[in-house]
Amino acid sequence: MIALKAIRKNPFKSLLIFSSITIAVMAIFLISSVSQGVIGMYSKMIKTDGDIIITQKGISDTFFSNVDISLMDKIDKLEYVSSSYAMTVGASPIGHIPIAGIYGTTANHFSHYKLLNGSYPKEGEVILGENLAKQFKTKSIAIGNKNFEISGTYSSEIGFEEGGVVMNITDAGKLFNRSASFILVSSSSPNEIDGIVPKISQLDGEIEVKTTQNFVKEYNQFKIIENSSFVISTLAFAMGLMGIASVMSMIVNSRKEEFGIMRALGKSRFFIIKNLFFETLVMSLSAYLFALILSLGILAMLPHIEMLQGYVNGTLSLATALYVLGSTLFMALLGSLFPAWIASKTDPILLINQGCA
Amino acid sequence: MIQASNISHFYGSEQVLFNLTFQVQSGEFLFLSGESGSGKSTLLSILSTLLNPSRGELLIDAEAVGKIKNIDYFRQSKIGFVFQFHYLINYLSVYENIALAAMDDKKENINKILDELGILELSSRYPNEISGGQRQRVAVARALVNEPKIIFADEPTGSLDSKNSTIVYELLQKAQKNGTTVVVASHDMQIQNYATKTIRLRDGKIL
Repeated sequence: MIALKAIRKNPFKSLLIFSSITIAVMAIFLISSVSQGVIGMYSKMIKTDGDIIITQKGISDTFFSNVDISLMDKIDKLEYVSSSYAMTVGASPIGHIPIAGIYGTTANHFSHYKLLNGSYPKEGEVILGENLAKQFKTKSIAIGNKNFEISGTYSSEIGFEEGGVVMNITDAGKLFNRSASFILVSSSSPNEIDGIVPKISQLDGEIEVKTTQNFVKEYNQFKIIENSSFVISTLAFAMGLMGIASVMSMIVNSRKEEFGIMRALGKSRFFIIKNLFFETLVMSLSAYLFALILSLGILAMLPHIEMLQGYVNGTLSLATALYVLGSTLFMALLGSLFPAWIASKTDPILLINQGCA
Repeated sequence: MIQASNISHFYGSEQVLFNLTFQVQSGEFLFLSGESGSGKSTLLSILSTLLNPSRGELLIDAEAVGKIKNIDYFRQSKIGFVFQFHYLINYLSVYENIALAAMDDKKENINKILDELGILELSSRYPNEISGGQRQRVAVARALVNEPKIIFADEPTGSLDSKNSTIVYELLQKAQKNGTTVVVASHDMQIQNYATKTIRLRDGKIL
């Protein structure tokens, strides 16, 4: 009761605390979510479309990998293989857009891209991702030194692809001077996936074959993104939490006089700490919820911002949300209760005099 | 009864009270007088259990204050305070400020005391909505609500005009006549008209 009155009767101070906590929590959410989103999009792209991935041996990045597409004929004849497709991934300036993803794929994979209008691309044609299409009103676009007719528009759940271009793998091969970046293989039997891997490896000495699960775990680019996102997220997290703790600590220190008066009136340390606990809990919990709603709103908007072409995406997992909730409450309570506990051990008259100083 | 024996106090290395020994009988009105810096506020803080003395022993009703386990309860049940700047909590109404100090079985006294002090109609107002004199009367009401054995007041009229000062002194005198021990530290020599005993301090020593 007293805690709620303290919040309501000091609206400006309460708003400042609320805003500080909200901004700190939002920073934590957005940085963690965007980092996770980048990894999530690419790993989803690989994981959902195949069980096994074949890349060039010794090449750590799919952008530089070159795999002979003719391997697909031999792979398709292996037992427990249901299908395979090849893909070339690259990036290039497209018209006035400085850089966009280009996905060259075999015709049997076109259905992965949900056609919104037009038809799937034949040789010399491309289809544009929904986000990219909003920026082009022309019938053809220049990619590299070649013009391509726009045969349609597609949508995809993966943000990268929404802002990119899909073309025939033959055209992509000419553009990026390779046969295919990787081949993805689907198995008819999940239990046989590990058995198929060595059989494919025997087909060509220049390839590296992995299950997509293992590939995603070991992919260097993911490790780089993960490590840098871990550092950035940890820093944002630490800064946010230290911000929360220091705001609460400053607020408590500015209320020493009030605690001194309460002690002088015979109120126990427990009474003061209990009320402060409740006050901090109400404030930090409501700021957390507000930050969560705002962050979810921003994350939902990110893929639709044309300027970002769908490349910036965010995934906020329940585990992250709960972890941030626990940490926010812990730091807010630590920031408020620790100085309050120290203050409660001080002689009341000294608290009153410190408050006046 | 208050018994102070060899009370000394230091702020850092500076000694501000020097071996003070005296007694205050129950029902007395003690006036602690002295110049600024004489140590009267520090002594009042020690007598009222708000500050632990660096040395010496303080007994209140034969209990050694330093050995009391639940000092908060002791303070709430036996002692009332009136400060110079009233020290009301700004986000609580007049009634709530008094209720904050009141023990559970004394809450029924609140309206009666507010009525006696002529401020019952202010009970729902906040400290910043009433005058300085009214705030100090609320502070007196807060000090009286638990019917304490001792009331301590530090410059209770320091921020009041003479009319309001007289009101506060008369309220304290009324409490003393009802059997409460009153200890007031002040520059204001007008208190001598109400006090039954005076202790004059200079440089931390009793004159």
